[in-house]
Amino acid sequence: MAGKTILEVQNLTKFFNTPGGQLHAVDGVSFTIEEGRTLGIVGESGCGKSTTGRTILKLLEPTGGKILFDGQDITGYTRKQMRPLRQEMQMVFQDPFSSLDPRQTVMQLISEPITEHKLLKSKSDIEDRTLELMRTVGLADRYMNVYPHELDGGRRQRIGIARALAVNPKLIVCDEPVSALDVSIQAQILNLLKKLQADLGLTYIFITHDLSVVKYFSDDIAVMYLGQMVEKAPSDLLFQNPLHPYTKALLSAIPLPVVGKEKPKRQLIRGEITSPVNLPDECRFWKRCDCTQDKCRNGNPGLREVEPNHFVACSCV
Amino acid sequence: MAEELVLDIKNLVVHYVTEDADVHAVNGIDIAIGKKRTLGLVGETGAGKTTTALSILNLVPNPPGVIKSGEIYLEGKDVLKMSPSDLEKMRGNDVAMIFQDPMTALNPVMTVGDQIGESIAIHQNLSKKDAFEKAKEMLKMVGIAESRAYDYPHQFSGGMKQRVVIAIALACSPQLLIADEPTTALDVTIQAQVLELMKQLIRDKEMSMLLITHDLGVVAEVCEDVAVMYAGRIVEKGTVDDVFNHMRHPYTEGLFDSLPNLKERGEELVPIKGLMPDPSDLPPGCAFAPRCPYAADVCSKGVPPLTAVDGSPTHFVACSAYSNPEFSLRGNKDGR
Repeated sequence: MAGKTILEVQNLTKFFNTPGGQLHAVDGVSFTIEEGRTLGIVGESGCGKSTTGRTILKLLEPTGGKILFDGQDITGYTRKQMRPLRQEMQMVFQDPFSSLDPRQTVMQLISEPITEHKLLKSKSDIEDRTLELMRTVGLADRYMNVYPHELDGGRRQRIGIARALAVNPKLIVCDEPVSALDVSIQAQILNLLKKLQADLGLTYIFITHDLSVVKYFSDDIAVMYLGQMVEKAPSDLLFQNPLHPYTKALLSAIPLPVVGKEKPKRQLIRGEITSPVNLPDECRFWKRCDCTQDKCRNGNPGLREVEPNHFVACSCV
Repeated sequence: MAEELVLDIKNLVVHYVTEDADVHAVNGIDIAIGKKRTLGLVGETGAGKTTTALSILNLVPNPPGVIKSGEIYLEGKDVLKMSPSDLEKMRGNDVAMIFQDPMTALNPVMTVGDQIGESIAIHQNLSKKDAFEKAKEMLKMVGIAESRAYDYPHQFSGGMKQRVVIAIALACSPQLLIADEPTTALDVTIQAQVLELMKQLIRDKEMSMLLITHDLGVVAEVCEDVAVMYAGRIVEKGTVDDVFNHMRHPYTEGLFDSLPNLKERGEELVPIKGLMPDPSDLPPGCAFAPRCPYAADVCSKGVPPLTAVDGSPTHFVACSAYSNPEFSLRGNKDGR
């Protein structure tokens, strides 16, 4: 599937200045996504996955690197220049409880992007479009005039998705869209997102800490650790043949809902994610890794292609 | 399981009475936990899991919470009939609780050593200094350097804080540990570490545990028995093998089907349609019937009681569909 590349990110960095020094939230991340596909970005709290998502949409100003959207270099775009592009790229946020204005009705919430971008003028057109969007995401018409607090998390997340769809975007960054939801509701939302992708040809960047969700959802998966990608591969390949020690540990840490059948042996990793402030030039995982060799401490291994489409950043693989 | 019971809850009913409505949070549940057994209580938001846990410590906030009826025996003594001073002696000493969010469960202006030592000093009549020494031992037990007893909670990461909370809970060697979503706020690799630690400590200290979670994976990892809760009732209970490999209740099946499978990819998930009913307005009959793919007329007529599955001593299900001897779940036919 050699589709058209919709987004290309080259060596993206985002540093924050903190009293203790420079915090490397995103440190040299590169990838490309083809139209209609899904890239899953997985990692634990603090690995920089959300910052990556936000920086791509220029909700945060990148420190360095390049973002090419649909062939245009948008890295240096001002807010004003970004405005028309906002229709092309949208975001679905994690927490449907705090990302919606509590004083707006469902109707107002969903029509806001339409009026904001002046996509439709007449009131009745806007209302029709809003109702159409509500149906697309599976919200019954009767919810038109209710406020978000009257709805459960799943329906609120549907509003968030409808808001993102309102401007007919090509790319949607989904930042943990289901992690605040119960499993039975989570499945409803995942099915919806998948159906929308098939119907509307959307491209997704799917940010999550939940590996089972990301496997279900993504074509390609990138694993992040301390601001860098440590492994990137097509979904099936990554799960069959994880190569980076961190990916292996992450996969084996998932508690499987299986009893009495053979389970893969657990590989626990020691310690916790280290501070992303003032990082030395070494493999960022070596302190928690079993195969500590001298070369791990000399220089940061970049991503290497070890088999077709399978990239790993580890000196020992 | 006729052995000695550490916890025996009988027909517990808890309502939250507000001006607008009478919320039926827990509607007559029975839970028994034997010595050294670990029971997982599974269910979604609003199923009444936490209310059940709080009832065991007689900590349901009142008002609006009212324990309408039921008996809760802790090693033979009814918690609901205890005097306030007996309750104080029991809490933290015989039964300890680990709360979901380690970020808010700790006192930010007290060193962790003092916080662990607090319950030791109270329950074991030790001086502050001795209690602090004991607190250091507890820290070591949960894998934190003793020197960190002088630190404050904000100096610890989430996983470390949860270890501190575990140390506090275990400080007085309780008979029963209630863990309410102990790893939900943690990352998976840290969750794996904390679960491993809890498993080991429970074994070493010969404790019983009630583990509340919505994560079936965690249950499979830690528990021996499991009870599935829906809208304030237990709909299925048994050993983990009973429930995971021979599930009987449609809701249990729905929960498993909703999980993205790590082996297969791409095929559509099977969510449970609809939403959990409003606990202030429960449907008559089986509360799951409106969402149940197998629902029949009998389901809306009367609440099905928990009944033994094929005469099993451990496995119970509350589902009217089994009055038809031909009935079986889709998943059970193709052998899960």
